[in-house]
Amino acid sequence: MTEHTDEMQPAGSAELTSTAEDQLLPQLVAHLREHRTKLRQEWAGRIQDSGLLHAMTPQEMAAETTSVYDNYVEVLETGSVEALQRYARDLSERIIPRGVETHEVVGIVLLLRDVLARSLFEKYQRDFGLLNRVLDAYEPAANRIANTVAVSFVDERERVIRQQQDSIRELSTPVLPVRERLLILPMIGVLDSERARQLTEQLLTGIRTHRAKVVVIDITGVPAVDEAVANHLVRTVDASRLMGASVIITGLSPDIAQTLVTIGVDLSKMDTIGDLQGGLEEAERLLGYSVTRGDGTGTM
Amino acid sequence: MRDEPRPHDDVAALIPMLRRVIGARVDDAATADDLVQETLVRVLAAAARVEPGMLEPYAIVTARNVVASLWREQDRHRRNRHRVVDLDLPDSPDQDLLASEERTAVAEALARLTDRERATLLAHEVSGQDTRSLAAEQGSTAGAVAAQLNRTRARLRVEYLLVRENVEPPTERCRPVLLALSGGDRRRQREVDAGRHLLECDVCAQLSQPLMERAQPRDDEVRIPISTDADIVAARQAARELAARLGFARTELTIIATAVSEVTRNIVRFAGTGEVVVELVDRPRRGVQVTARDTGPGIPDVEKALADGYSTYNGLGLGLPGARRLMDEFAVVSEMGRGTTVTMTKWCGER
Amino acid sequence: MTGPKLVSILRQGSWLIASIHTALDDTQMLMFQHDLIDQIGRYRSRGVVIDVAALDVLDSFGARTLRTIAEMARLRGAETVIVGIQPDVAFAMVSLGMDTGTVPTALDLEEGLEYLGRPGGARSARHGRAAG
Repeated sequence: MTEHTDEMQPAGSAELTSTAEDQLLPQLVAHLREHRTKLRQEWAGRIQDSGLLHAMTPQEMAAETTSVYDNYVEVLETGSVEALQRYARDLSERIIPRGVETHEVVGIVLLLRDVLARSLFEKYQRDFGLLNRVLDAYEPAANRIANTVAVSFVDERERVIRQQQDSIRELSTPVLPVRERLLILPMIGVLDSERARQLTEQLLTGIRTHRAKVVVIDITGVPAVDEAVANHLVRTVDASRLMGASVIITGLSPDIAQTLVTIGVDLSKMDTIGDLQGGLEEAERLLGYSVTRGDGTGTM
Repeated sequence: MRDEPRPHDDVAALIPMLRRVIGARVDDAATADDLVQETLVRVLAAAARVEPGMLEPYAIVTARNVVASLWREQDRHRRNRHRVVDLDLPDSPDQDLLASEERTAVAEALARLTDRERATLLAHEVSGQDTRSLAAEQGSTAGAVAAQLNRTRARLRVEYLLVRENVEPPTERCRPVLLALSGGDRRRQREVDAGRHLLECDVCAQLSQPLMERAQPRDDEVRIPISTDADIVAARQAARELAARLGFARTELTIIATAVSEVTRNIVRFAGTGEVVVELVDRPRRGVQVTARDTGPGIPDVEKALADGYSTYNGLGLGLPGARRLMDEFAVVSEMGRGTTVTMTKWCGER
Repeated sequence: MTGPKLVSILRQGSWLIASIHTALDDTQMLMFQHDLIDQIGRYRSRGVVIDVAALDVLDSFGARTLRTIAEMARLRGAETVIVGIQPDVAFAMVSLGMDTGTVPTALDLEEGLEYLGRPGGARSARHGRAAG
């Protein structure tokens, strides 16, 4: 490497040697644009060889790799990752439902980084000093790109998962308006704190939207609750009262009753009825009274 | 920085000699190093007024004075340097005076850095040497050099301000706090309890403002100074707004706001003034952390204050215990006569 | 209180309808208390509805003030009902540890007025208070 002479160097690189550091990236970008088709194909080939993105058709792959390639070069050119971020999020949204995994996305970006680095290596291999400078300029930008894409993907994935969980939860805790001013909340299954919280929120907003005066919470389908959830249940009952609704709890199992007593709940202050049928009858009675006596109102 | 003259070049050449002079008089290497730095500071401050070629003897005299003053006053931090070196500059038009003070301040601040810090900083900022080649010279990594440069810049800002304002930090804790603020290092700021110190220390409170302006602006933190009833509302609304960005459910936002309301009211009622800091955290999980601190009389019995029904003003006795019930994490540290800090966190979701 | 009105107190027969329009700080809350009690006395009101729908938070101080108002109103012969507590505010209140006290609450203004009976009506509110 040390004995190279001027005539051994490619003309472009001789120019580069004399250019300032801030000219490196633009020249590098020009090189990547010039060889776009070849490099992109090489990259797509490497992706296939690695068995990544097998969920995609060759046409899709061609379209996406072209977009990613162009975005990639644009980031190198402008130094701004915003457009790439938008694209990465958009891409993630499209490919996540098809089961593309995080390691695949990171894998393909790293493959592109390497394909491009190899091409730079080839171009500048005769001038080691220059190659070093080019790679110095390229490497941080390339790492930043890989990071941006990976983070965007993971963010998007988390968002999708959250959304799915939310919609499942909504389905599993329906608030039923059985008749005017009366809501039933049939709770089924194991309650964790998060579900209990969602349930409370639905019930309380339900009281307002339906202008409910009586709420029947049926917990026949709940096998057991821990202290945190029992606490939550009690708070829900109290909060409903503050909103002016009476609460009747039905289907209280001895186990749950025990838990409530353990955390210091005075069961005599809670309106508990054995089964849902009895609860509904009691609710009707309360609603009947409410017309003349103003019952169904809480206190604070 | 590029435009500043560099009197430190001449002065830097004096360092080996100063090492010998001071080393012969002081055994402890760390103290000796401090004294060398201190001497450099004073020599630099006076360099403009010293005859060329007279710098070396002047430095020797200064070094001896510095050592003598150490012996005389054991506590170097309380020293009054005006007694040893006259920093008053000759009369000149205001502008000249300002410019010259500025130069002196920068030079003096530079001199307060360690040799290595100064050399690296100057190589990078003045000579334009990049972190990679600096790393190669130092047998380090580019990242480590960049981090070191950041620390050095942070220190330089602190020293510059101290020189310019002509103050000595009144306590041992001042400098670490100022450094942590200058570097924008949140973890370090927590370690040194920077917030509390700023409430207690007037000097640092004044100095720290430009430091915080220089540091990266943060959009995941809000500070609300607390002194009146209206600030309670401001604090809880700020907390709600910031927490909303994490996607907390509405009920949880109101729970956070209610807890903030309670602890902030404690500041207004018991301490008069203080501050509430709301910040988003992502470790160990995403959440919102609220720190309410005051420099009030302190709580005599925290245990009792956290028990239900304890109240010394016309509340329901729900302040602290209520806030604790509302949040996921809750801690109170109180010291009689120094004040109280409540730190509480609400995690976002169950994941 | 300057600027846009923070609260309004409307007189309707022997009833007062007090609405809080925005988040209030403690001082404003106490002024509201003072004004309302003052008007209850001046108009010899029999019932008061306090609409708190616009409050972002009902913390221990806010709740205590409302209870004080209700208690002072009772001493002056007026029944108080709190209406419009938002779902999230209600849940935060009980999470804070406020037990359901003795001041009646209702969903909204309409319910509150129904609770008190029609303006000028003869119903004595104290008979109809809900248990628990």
